[in-house]
Amino acid sequence: MAKAEYKSKYKRVGQRYDRKDAREKVTGQAVYTYDLELPGMLYARCLLSPYARAKIVSIDTSKAKALPGVRAILTGEDSDILVGLYMQDKRVLSRGVTRYQGDVVAAVAAEDEETAERAISLIDVVYEPLEPVHDVDEALEGKILVHEDINELKHYVGVFFPQKDSNIASWNKSKKGDLEKAFAESDLVVENDFSLPAVAHVPMETHVSIVQADPFSNKIKIWSSAQSPFAIRQIMADSFGVSESDVEVHIPYVGGGFGGKAGIHLEPLATLLSKAAGGLPVKVRATREQEFNQLPTRAGMRGRIKTAANKDGKITAMQAVYDWDSGAYADYGVNVGKTAVYSGIGPYSIENACIDSKTIYTNKVFSTAYRGFGHLETHWSIERQIDILSQKLGIDPYEFRMMNLLEPGDKTMSGEVITESSGNPKECLTAVVKEIGWTGRKTEEERQREWKTGKVRGKGFAMLQKAPAMPANTATSVVMQMNGDGHVKMMIGAVDMGQGAITALSQIAAQELDMPIEDIEISAQIDTRSNPYDWNTVASKLTFLGGNAVVKASHELLHKMKVIAGQVLRTDPENLLHANGEIYHPHNPNRRLSYKDIALGYMYPDGSGIGGPLIASGSVVADGLTNLHPETGQGNPAAVWTFGAHAVEIEVDVETGSVTVLKVASAFDVGQVINEKLIYGQICGGVLQGLGSALLEGYKFNKDEKLMNPSFTDNKIPTMKDMPVEIVPIYIENPQHNGPLGARGVGEHPMISVPSAIGNAVYDALGINFHVLPLSPEAIVLGIQSGKKSILCTDVDCLPGRL
Amino acid sequence: MLSRFQYFKPHNLNEAVQYLDKEANSFVLAGGTDLMILLRRNVINAEHIVDIKALPETGVFEYTEGTGLKIGAAVVVNRVVDSEVVNSRYRALHQAAASLASFQLRNRATVVGNICNASPGADLPPALLVYDAVVNIAGPQGTRQVPLHQFFTGVKRTVLQHGELVVSVELPESGEGDKSIYLRQARLRGHDLATVGVAARVKPDGKVAIGIAAVAPTPLRLFALEDQINARGLSQETIEWAAEEVKEHIHPITDVRSSAAYRLQMASVLLKRCLLALIAKED
Amino acid sequence: MDNNKDCSMYTEHVDSGKRKVTLSLTVNGHQVVRDVDPSMSLLHFLRDNIKLFGTKEACGEGECGACTIIMNGKAVTSCIVLAVEAEGAQITTVEGLAKDGKLSILQEEFISEDALQCGYCTPGFLMSARALLDSNPNPSDEEIVEVLSGNLCRCTGYIPILNAVKRTIEREQKELGR
Repeated sequence: MAKAEYKSKYKRVGQRYDRKDAREKVTGQAVYTYDLELPGMLYARCLLSPYARAKIVSIDTSKAKALPGVRAILTGEDSDILVGLYMQDKRVLSRGVTRYQGDVVAAVAAEDEETAERAISLIDVVYEPLEPVHDVDEALEGKILVHEDINELKHYVGVFFPQKDSNIASWNKSKKGDLEKAFAESDLVVENDFSLPAVAHVPMETHVSIVQADPFSNKIKIWSSAQSPFAIRQIMADSFGVSESDVEVHIPYVGGGFGGKAGIHLEPLATLLSKAAGGLPVKVRATREQEFNQLPTRAGMRGRIKTAANKDGKITAMQAVYDWDSGAYADYGVNVGKTAVYSGIGPYSIENACIDSKTIYTNKVFSTAYRGFGHLETHWSIERQIDILSQKLGIDPYEFRMMNLLEPGDKTMSGEVITESSGNPKECLTAVVKEIGWTGRKTEEERQREWKTGKVRGKGFAMLQKAPAMPANTATSVVMQMNGDGHVKMMIGAVDMGQGAITALSQIAAQELDMPIEDIEISAQIDTRSNPYDWNTVASKLTFLGGNAVVKASHELLHKMKVIAGQVLRTDPENLLHANGEIYHPHNPNRRLSYKDIALGYMYPDGSGIGGPLIASGSVVADGLTNLHPETGQGNPAAVWTFGAHAVEIEVDVETGSVTVLKVASAFDVGQVINEKLIYGQICGGVLQGLGSALLEGYKFNKDEKLMNPSFTDNKIPTMKDMPVEIVPIYIENPQHNGPLGARGVGEHPMISVPSAIGNAVYDALGINFHVLPLSPEAIVLGIQSGKKSILCTDVDCLPGRL
Repeated sequence: MLSRFQYFKPHNLNEAVQYLDKEANSFVLAGGTDLMILLRRNVINAEHIVDIKALPETGVFEYTEGTGLKIGAAVVVNRVVDSEVVNSRYRALHQAAASLASFQLRNRATVVGNICNASPGADLPPALLVYDAVVNIAGPQGTRQVPLHQFFTGVKRTVLQHGELVVSVELPESGEGDKSIYLRQARLRGHDLATVGVAARVKPDGKVAIGIAAVAPTPLRLFALEDQINARGLSQETIEWAAEEVKEHIHPITDVRSSAAYRLQMASVLLKRCLLALIAKED
Repeated sequence: MDNNKDCSMYTEHVDSGKRKVTLSLTVNGHQVVRDVDPSMSLLHFLRDNIKLFGTKEACGEGECGACTIIMNGKAVTSCIVLAVEAEGAQITTVEGLAKDGKLSILQEEFISEDALQCGYCTPGFLMSARALLDSNPNPSDEEIVEVLSGNLCRCTGYIPILNAVKRTIEREQKELGR
């Protein structure tokens, strides 16, 4: 558990400050949406479809209505509202048909949770079960349509491409060079399938929303455990036909998000219930079971990768086909699919490439964003494929990667040119490979020798890259106001759900304003009525965009202070400098004013004042981004790439299949560390989540597409016993010239490519290439027993996630 | 939870049995770690909950030289984990207890509850089975004793009749030279139900006993396999043979936790490791 | 563990159609007497009845440890304990850790080691760790992990939590002479 000794060149940025929200969180004072009670508040429960796909023949709510304490009951007949982030494809309550076994068929608001639960048990529904669409292959055949109205669905035109009369919610494409020629002329062509199941985010606080829909106006007041207050405001306004300003969104502390709380979830249902209950506030809280089987998940995915290379190790062509099993609704899933077309060949310079990424509807739990979305999945495919290629070429996997990684002057998949300011993937790889002491792959002889001891060790590594996946015009803003005590009250629109946003941004403000971080007042709680706009708290974009907004606001605040100080000190503001909470004249430091003296305006000895309260703001919009060309995928989607690499050493028990992770070395070119304590936390947490995906986690559906593991009994996440023996974080600081003090985001990245690195290490240990996750003890043992050298499927009947 | 029940905490056994006999939808509460989940998931609809933690008989946890170990129905698993006697004389039980669920749950979960829940994959039964544990049952017709290997009748089913409750479980004396071990495989290192759990014991006379969980509708004592092993004599070769032969004595299923194929393999591996560890100890 | 003081003799009365039992216990040093429905969990009693919202529910089935409290010296998951089972019990929740307006060493070290992110699981971890250190002031790493692995955290990767508990042990020995 070694920690790198990190020294920052800055006074405040880079230092190991305690997080600002910590004190409230260790004393039980932090209030989450789950903790909120409002006057007159009702409690809701939902009746979920028991079938993956069924016709709703009839619903009888009479017994439930008769139950004392029940205040509202809704079914699909009561609302025709469609919601959706990019595709308006989801009814708040199912009407006529259900599309997965978590679709809400009816909902009740009652005076207490128990009454709501009892009322739900009294609702009689007659279903006619229909044959579901099981998997992406069946979906692509298109015999059954999950959404028969797909041709009419409203969607984000020009960015997502639903296909007529199909189950394809969006088909995104990119291509460059001459693929066929390159395949024909190269020395080696290798084609492989890789897949991974749906995985749950598992925030410790389940989704919970409280809504009060004012019956006397258009006002909709929302309190929610959510990552996207302003996106909720906009989507709610769209869906309910009111103005954005009619929607208030309050975000108390959020008990974990990881992408699962981005976009909109329980808010529309709570709104409908509140309206039906005469405007009383209604709290909808997902049980843990609903968190697994009703709320969205990370999509399962299959990648088909065909790669060509020459004997000397140069990759000449790559073709990738990504099929995403997005389940019943598109939600963030289409954006996940879109990500793959510009990041889906990894951080490599490949002249000829083509990517087809299809977000596909099936009758399973629907999918959404999950930490580094699209990247853990595509990198599982690419980084395993690169390793397999290096095996076939007989080139060391480190050397092979070094020959093909992006460097300044190279172009990314979408045609962006990499510069010195983009960060350095090679430096990351070299650092981690050195850290684990890589000396080349094991020989078969060495494996056999170790095998006899029952435990075989292996080393492996993998690259990663990610840029924020966001619209080209993504924006954020910051407002600063100085209090009478000289403290700066800073307001942002992004949500701190534990990633440390408020602390990191305060550090940037403290650095720029040169004042103690303790004097930066910032709240993790967001209220769209008072906090300034932010697009969404997703995509590791906040350090970069939000940080830049903080820098801008700080500079504006300093400028305003200097203007006033200039008058008081009788000099041109440009002659003044600032340090340690004071504005001063560098030639004559006695001419100085503290920030406090001008916070609310300067007061002369005779009582007259100038200036007034100090307020500044910083607005930032992503710079130079464009939508991608619909056919070629060329354009500029990436405000900032963060490159990284993991290297691992593992030990496999060849009889039980248990994998022990001995060491993980992780390097990221972060440009500039903002807070070493926080970044260490992101790495430890991200790596362990990645290990969950690598070794353990995944949804299991039965043949009727009913989720078989909707609880912690069978949907396990790593515990303290499952953490690696050692994690070594390595921070690489090649500054990004347009980043705040050179910094890039790194919140999601530690999770990406952990499975690929483990998969590569398993090959080193066993000489077996696994193409499917998770690498559970069972998968390893059945893989060994099969006697095969490539394991495409580890389930008994060879369908991923099938029972 | 849809159940609305009355809570009754009797102070003597008669009172408890009479209440259970009288009330139809009544359930026994000890640690509650299984019962509360059944209630929460509305798997059962309870009208009466009888908390047996105040009965003098259920609090008993004692070891008597020559007689053995008695564990009352209110004794929590962590008490067994912490017991020196159990650790030294009933090693497999210590190991099984220490691997059951999480530390926090072991502060509530009881040994007898783990038996009564009759889960095919429960950790404690294999260890209790190799020690020939006997279950003490009280009911309207008086008390009776049932050997643990006859206690389970199916998945979540036992011989308990209406109005009956398990008061304690007894393990005969285990003396010098008596050795045992419990090994399990799970999906992760943290708390998990066992994919397969195997307990093995070598008695001072060299005879072997084997208990196994999660490979059949109930935890099993593999008497027939034991006889074959004992006939061959416990040796490296016998162990290799038994590790294969055990697959003929069990009937694992494929479920959400594991395939039958993996369970067969783990039964084999764990049995081999158990027996090897036991003969290694004799050196 | 078995808290068999009494309570066979529940008081039973009817209040708006619900059967109630009078419950008396000590929470964070305060005597509390309330009428409760027997089907109420201890977690809901603490939150809904005496308004201590620091203790969280994350699964309701004893699998995640978020609702861990200390009951008669033992760390237990309060979601699967009936409130009525706590008759006469001594309960400590996260709100009872800081004394006289001063954070405990354990809380300080959780802050200092950044042993929390979203903070939702934090009260449960604090209570599990407190119960452990109360019964064993100098546990090994293995013993700490054995106890704390009953608490799930999705944010931190656990390493900072383990570090915080280890630092607490050092400081408590030095500063409190444990």
